[in-house]
Amino acid sequence: MRPAAETDGKRAGPGWRGLPAAMKGLPAVMKSLPAAVALAWLAALAAALIHWPLLTMAANRLVPGVPVTGGAALGQVLPAILALSALAAGLLAVSPGRRAGATALALALAAAGLFAWGLGHGAALRMAGQPPAARAGLGAGAWLAAALLGAALGLAVRRCRRPGLGLVVVGLGLVGLGAAGRAGTFDALSLAVEYAARREAVHTALVEHLVLAGGALGLAVPAVILLSLWRRGQDAVGIVIGGVQVVPAVALLGGLVALTGGLLRAVPSLRDLGLSALGPVPAMVGVAAYLLLPLWRGLAAALSAPDPASLDAARAMGLTETQILARLRLPLGGQLLVGALRVATVQAIGLATLGALVGAGGLGRIVFDGMAQFAPDLILLGAVPVVALSLVAERTLSALEDRMRAGLPA
Amino acid sequence: MSLRPIATVAVTGLALAALSHPAVATRLAGFLGEAPRRALDTDRLLALAVQHLVLAGTGLALVAGLGIALGILATRRGGAALRPAIDGLAAGAQAVPPVVVVALALPILGFGGPPTLLALVAYGVMPVLRGTVGALETVSREAREAAEAMGLTRRQILLSVELPLAAPGIVETLRTALVLAIATAAVGALAGAATLGTPIVAGLQNQNTVPMLQGACATAALAFLGDAALLGLATLARINRPRT
Repeated sequence: MRPAAETDGKRAGPGWRGLPAAMKGLPAVMKSLPAAVALAWLAALAAALIHWPLLTMAANRLVPGVPVTGGAALGQVLPAILALSALAAGLLAVSPGRRAGATALALALAAAGLFAWGLGHGAALRMAGQPPAARAGLGAGAWLAAALLGAALGLAVRRCRRPGLGLVVVGLGLVGLGAAGRAGTFDALSLAVEYAARREAVHTALVEHLVLAGGALGLAVPAVILLSLWRRGQDAVGIVIGGVQVVPAVALLGGLVALTGGLLRAVPSLRDLGLSALGPVPAMVGVAAYLLLPLWRGLAAALSAPDPASLDAARAMGLTETQILARLRLPLGGQLLVGALRVATVQAIGLATLGALVGAGGLGRIVFDGMAQFAPDLILLGAVPVVALSLVAERTLSALEDRMRAGLPA
Repeated sequence: MSLRPIATVAVTGLALAALSHPAVATRLAGFLGEAPRRALDTDRLLALAVQHLVLAGTGLALVAGLGIALGILATRRGGAALRPAIDGLAAGAQAVPPVVVVALALPILGFGGPPTLLALVAYGVMPVLRGTVGALETVSREAREAAEAMGLTRRQILLSVELPLAAPGIVETLRTALVLAIATAAVGALAGAATLGTPIVAGLQNQNTVPMLQGACATAALAFLGDAALLGLATLARINRPRT
């Protein structure tokens, strides 16, 4: 699978038309939210909370459920959530300032907290007196509302313009959800029931997934460094690792399993080292192959980050190539390296899901089990951690990237 | 542009297609030490390839149409407000790998082609949209202002200045989308879509190397040949590739 977007869109593009002249050049976050967008957001949130199914009640985990909407699911907290969200959206639309951003952040956090509690509480009320096989799943409206609240939180965090605040908010959210889950708030929700039944398997899969993604990165980074040391072969390297991107991941993994099988038959002693045709090694190699291109491009861009005049000056001062690398190329190109690492990490986490196809385990195994059993909550149990891991990796590394960029001379 | 890069891609595709032929794949598996097992015959392989192409092609058409249209809208007057939302959505969509989208769509849409198609569109639209916006942004303001000064209407500026100048970038985006479409169609085999991914998945489950190799080579061949076709079309339309 080719990286869907190798470029990052964070650089404010030049020449957005239709803006007042004074606004041009300001990053988008400095402007207040247009009233129309704020209203559309609020309307979508209201639709998700009132009209769309927030919960689905089913007789067991496999049959489709009966939708439960609006007040029937959330009870008394529904108007409070809507009021808090309206206030937050209003604040973001009225003022681009920091204080308004911080207040909106607090309001949106309160709305999100109430929403989570309301869903858990509503599910518990509905489940009371039901047979043990009955399930209360989250409906489309709940996911949509969560995404909308998440978007508002993201905007409010950026409005506060404090580096690292996003991570703090994510951490707070996770701790809050974890504490509430431990206290039993979500016990009635199907996802929690599924998790309780497979706690050990999920934890093992999570560790396997991290090992797979980390191992792939660990293979790809030294490989890229070695490849870029081969000065003459850069054209050939580019063609080959560009070509790998074209090969679909399912096909590459299948081919690697066949190759590893052949290798093991030719050199059986490798088996003693723990290598097997189906397992983590072919999966790691396959995932690593896709990480070569973003890393290689990032490394090349980082090494050529200093302009030729600075390089000439450094050489004239008598610096050795190693000194130039340590004092000039790496400090100036560091943020490009981190950017490449961010793209590669997100891809590694996503691609590691496919590792389960070749017996490497990981969260993909839970997803595929869920697909085989046609059990939506089991699929979610595998999918939610994958998405959460990618988002956390993306946010963490892009925060680091911003910090390094801020440290550069303009 | 020279034809050499296209020829390289096309030859790679043809070589991979040859590898997926039953006779060649059986011999290759024999070389790897596998016991010769039943291979997929050419008819079945071709039928799967056609289904794969139909699924990926439909997805690509939807993704390209939606993505480019939305990208043009986002760069029009008044669309600037949407920019942060687009960037946020694109980053969010990136975090959900296609196999997860296929899996999540399965309970809603059932087994077969539809969840794959949904995954294709959901995963492909944002990169195309963002690529189109990026390509349109590379059009210099001078070019636009000159066109405006010549009295061209906004529509004329879009059709005869902005889109032609942005075309190379849009073609690059579509190449990414095409490869993504073929890869996602292969993943769709997990959701029961009959594509070239089917023999790979079945072969992995049954430890049957020959059909697995055939499926893998044929899928890769399709991706390379599609890429070559797109590059060829761009050359015919005299769209130069940007220097990378």
